[in-house]
Amino acid sequence: MAAENKNARVIVVGGGLAGLAACVRLAEQGVSVDCFSIVPVKRSHSVCAQGGINATNEIARQQGFSEWMHMDETLFGGDFLADQPPVYEMTHWAPRIIDLLDRMGVPFNRTPEGQRDLRLFGGSLFKRTHFSGATTGQQLMYALDEQVRRYEAEGKVAKYESWEFLWPITRGEGAERRCVGIVAQDLRTMQIRAFPAEAVIMATGGCGLIFGKSTNSVMCTGGAAARCYQAGAWYANGEMIQVHPTAIPGADKCRLMSESARGEGGRVWVPAKKGDTRDPRQIPENERYYLLEERYPKYGNLVPRDIASREIFSVCVDDHMGVDGRNQVYLDLSFKDRDELDRKLGGILEIYEKFAGEDPHDVPMKIFPAVHYTMGGLWTTFTPQERPADPRQDLNCGRDTVTGMKFGAANTMMTNITGLYAFGECNFAYHGATRLGANALLSCIFDGLFSGQGVVNYVRTEAEPVENVHQSLYDEAVQQEHFKTQRLIETAEAGHNDPATNPYQIALEMGDEMTAACTVVKTGPRMEQAMTRLRELQDRYQNVRLADGGMWTNQNLSFTRALGDMLILAEAILQGSINREESRGSHYRPDFPDRDDQRFHKTTIAKFNAKTGRPDFDYRDVVTGLVKLRPRDYGKTSSEPKKSKEPATV
Amino acid sequence: MSESANTAQPAVPAPFLLRRLHSLAGIIPIGAFLCIHLTTNASIVWGRLGHGGVETFQHEVNFIHSTPFLLLIEVFGLWLPIGFHAVLGFYYAFTGSSNVAHYGYGANWRYTLQRLTGYFGFIFILYHVATLRWGWTWLPFASGFDAHTAASSTAQAIQGGADTSALGGFLIGALYLIGVLALIYHLANGLWTAAITWGLTISAGAQRRWGFVCSGAGLALAALGVMAFVGFVTLDLEAARQTESRLHSEIVNADTPQIAPAVAENNTTTNQSER
Amino acid sequence: MTTATDTRTRTIKIKIKRCDGPGKPAYWQTFSVPVKRGEGANVISCLQYIAANPITDGGVATTPVAWKSGCLEEVCGACTMVINGKVRQSCSCLMDSACPNEGDTLTLEPMRKFPVIRDLFVDRTRLFESLKRVKAWVPIDNLWEQGAGPKETPDEQQTRYKLSECMSCGCCMDACPQFHQIADSAKWQTAFIGAAPISQVRYFNLHKTGATLKADRLSEMASQGGVSDCGNAQNCVKHCPKSIPLTESIAAVGRATTIHAIKQFFTGK
Repeated sequence: MAAENKNARVIVVGGGLAGLAACVRLAEQGVSVDCFSIVPVKRSHSVCAQGGINATNEIARQQGFSEWMHMDETLFGGDFLADQPPVYEMTHWAPRIIDLLDRMGVPFNRTPEGQRDLRLFGGSLFKRTHFSGATTGQQLMYALDEQVRRYEAEGKVAKYESWEFLWPITRGEGAERRCVGIVAQDLRTMQIRAFPAEAVIMATGGCGLIFGKSTNSVMCTGGAAARCYQAGAWYANGEMIQVHPTAIPGADKCRLMSESARGEGGRVWVPAKKGDTRDPRQIPENERYYLLEERYPKYGNLVPRDIASREIFSVCVDDHMGVDGRNQVYLDLSFKDRDELDRKLGGILEIYEKFAGEDPHDVPMKIFPAVHYTMGGLWTTFTPQERPADPRQDLNCGRDTVTGMKFGAANTMMTNITGLYAFGECNFAYHGATRLGANALLSCIFDGLFSGQGVVNYVRTEAEPVENVHQSLYDEAVQQEHFKTQRLIETAEAGHNDPATNPYQIALEMGDEMTAACTVVKTGPRMEQAMTRLRELQDRYQNVRLADGGMWTNQNLSFTRALGDMLILAEAILQGSINREESRGSHYRPDFPDRDDQRFHKTTIAKFNAKTGRPDFDYRDVVTGLVKLRPRDYGKTSSEPKKSKEPATV
Repeated sequence: MSESANTAQPAVPAPFLLRRLHSLAGIIPIGAFLCIHLTTNASIVWGRLGHGGVETFQHEVNFIHSTPFLLLIEVFGLWLPIGFHAVLGFYYAFTGSSNVAHYGYGANWRYTLQRLTGYFGFIFILYHVATLRWGWTWLPFASGFDAHTAASSTAQAIQGGADTSALGGFLIGALYLIGVLALIYHLANGLWTAAITWGLTISAGAQRRWGFVCSGAGLALAALGVMAFVGFVTLDLEAARQTESRLHSEIVNADTPQIAPAVAENNTTTNQSER
Repeated sequence: MTTATDTRTRTIKIKIKRCDGPGKPAYWQTFSVPVKRGEGANVISCLQYIAANPITDGGVATTPVAWKSGCLEEVCGACTMVINGKVRQSCSCLMDSACPNEGDTLTLEPMRKFPVIRDLFVDRTRLFESLKRVKAWVPIDNLWEQGAGPKETPDEQQTRYKLSECMSCGCCMDACPQFHQIADSAKWQTAFIGAAPISQVRYFNLHKTGATLKADRLSEMASQGGVSDCGNAQNCVKHCPKSIPLTESIAAVGRATTIHAIKQFFTGK
């Protein structure tokens, strides 16, 4: 395009780490930003991240590790399903992201000398996880929130908090299709409005609520991503859902017990004798079965999440060895020094004490796996860039050149709809088939800062100025949403609680079914059964009825609308799981227990078919070229409890 | 960068200055004066250890009244600071709304009491100064103060003035006892909060320890206050007047040695001296 | 502790102060909610039940109650409410301790110091505006690579970390007798700012780069509605769900403001 567009405006949907990082990058580059968030941005789900953020530091390099190794562990952890150049770029940018966050004032834990301290995390053989107590996500997000507030005070960012994204506005068809704005609704006044912009960044996180009780926050419905999917954006690797091994089961959600609990030495065990109901403190060392340490001597309690989840699940569900006969195992920190625990894990131990009513300094915690992270998401692309290997960062990589992503390329993390981007958890780009602990914060911030520059360049030089877009396009989009809203509002009947058509009941059943059929262990027949149930629920949803027909702060409407989108996205997730007849990362199929690179070293792409209302599937080869595929077993030994046990050293 | 350190105001902001002066005025001169005043008044009791309560009290009063420019000192050192502290105090107190009904914690009660004692204390001070200093004896149950018959006139005032009915005695007695204790509480708690406000006590531990010191000081002052109160309430007016008359004549004799002590004795019933 | 098999169901009552919108009258409704012992039921799970069954105790068919929640693990600050007269996070209010017996009643009201949007959902914009008022950020030059930030000792980090845990829930303000509900946003600038932003002043002034705005922040603290409007009732620290030492922050900022003012007095800047 000819002249640079100085008045370009970008919409960021979502105010978590990825969204805020994007706002900061865009605002710094002088692009006007409208940030939309369903909650005040400071309350975004990113605050729940506890453990830390991965980045190689100088000590690791001197010990023979490097960014390359971080990349290798990420790819290996994700069972090689991730495209390799984005992972290369992310892991190599990690150190400078940490430095930047440090400059922004994040209170990273310190060594006695005043350096940033590191902890060990799952799936790693070297310490590369920076942390800020046990609330790292909160601390990182606040630092970015503060920077955005500064830009907001300067008038460079406008926040639309308590606004819900309803639909992307596009013009043109096929490859020419461009995103030129969004429709959003104020959740207080219920006003529906169109907002034009040269580009739209979706940074709306995961879809844990599809599984009912997960570790996610109440707004993590995946509704926004599902709307983009229905509008024609491709949804990739939907079947890759991470189940976190250690969560505290609760009535309203499952609260996360960070991997850092294991990183700081926490040990997972069950009584070696089935039905042993003694107080855990009374059970001697040699009558405890440390399942992960015995099955995976090399990584011990720090095997990746999918493996830990599966082992805990199998000990409870298959071997019936769960504590008190229930689906729970011990996560033990009670043998550790109290002060050290407080300093490094205070925040999360407090959560356990508050919500479980027992002090984890004294007694082992009772935990069970819960749905945690959405590796899949909106499909995005990038521009590869070949460059010479760096002897420091790519130590012992055995190659002369490497392939990363081109900084500032306009298509970086752009969906198949031009001008519509997806950053952070809501894209599929970095974690493959399972995510390593402490890589989520990294990928979110990396997208905002790195991929954000691509958006800057896109709106400046490639996007068509929205002044050229006819107003009628926006009016029609608003009209469309008014129509959908009205259709739901008209069903309202105060006091409505008929289970058949009650949205909360349908959501509950969807969550139960999806959790039972499509999480830790997936089998073809069970998933087919779940698909039948899901179709039933979709049918019931056609007759869904609200209990609130008002047009003021109608949360009933917002929830029911999201439920419709969740049911559609759930189908893509479930069908993707059925189709992938192999086991890879978090996707474990006992009926297909091995990884099948021949058939499935491919990205699943679900395309919403507006005619059938169902997904069509397409498979694309994973972009490799940096690391060769190898079996991912983390050195597993026998899965039987040994007869005599020695206390393992931590 | 658009923001930098030098956008700060060149002067100390008025709201801050007023707050700090308000705090300061409560300690010096008002708090300091309260300490001296209570010590002087308590001499009606502790004086008995030496020359006798009435004598010592009279001596103290004489000392004070011998201060040059007393009125100026009173106006600028006491009445204006008290007025300043009171007016701002009322304004500040009205900006708060106590919620002890929901949050009945110790510090919250102290916060509420600080305001209530401020209101009550000010009314008490007004009555006290108006009757005993300005001689507004038209106020109910009021009688004035006479520097020459310091103890007896004070005692009479506290006992309900010229009206010797039990009601007057009770009301004014209660007013004095509660008023004095309220002001002492106000000072002690004010000292505790001032240390936070000025930033002397930062840690919770420091605030707790300073709290003990303030409580101790408050209790000591309360002991003085109660001592003085009891001393004046139980003072035998007749006996006190005789003592004062004797003291007065001693002074007069000292000034005019020619006059015999017996002559002076005849003047005891006169309220005002020759001057 | 409750035993594993103890899942007896009991019915408790949730009494809710409702309001259909700004300027509309408040009214009370009571709902019966079945709760299982030992399963971690909390205020949120009860409200979720009511949303699915919006029928009052008296059999009145009504609308679901509006409320805000987010993380449900006390790190996002969304679900603040007045529960049994006292302000707190509702997610951490567990029914097994709050309503242990059949027929026990729990009272829910919206926060008192922020305007109600609907039912238990209040508008806390003022809280976030107050963070702008004290320039609660570290003024970094840019996002380009420039090495690490300033070093700090573990002790300094621990102090800052505690202050950084503030999730802007507003409990400290709601419990404060000096902090009042103000609907007119033009008056926020001179009204008492509350404990949380004062603590943020301390937090940012403790950071070496953050301290470049120290004078601005302290001038704001010395102005109308700043730190000296604190009345030391100290309810804030009792009701901070993150146990942030708010009263220490207030005293520390009081000291800094005193020194700043004296410096201003003598140097004029």
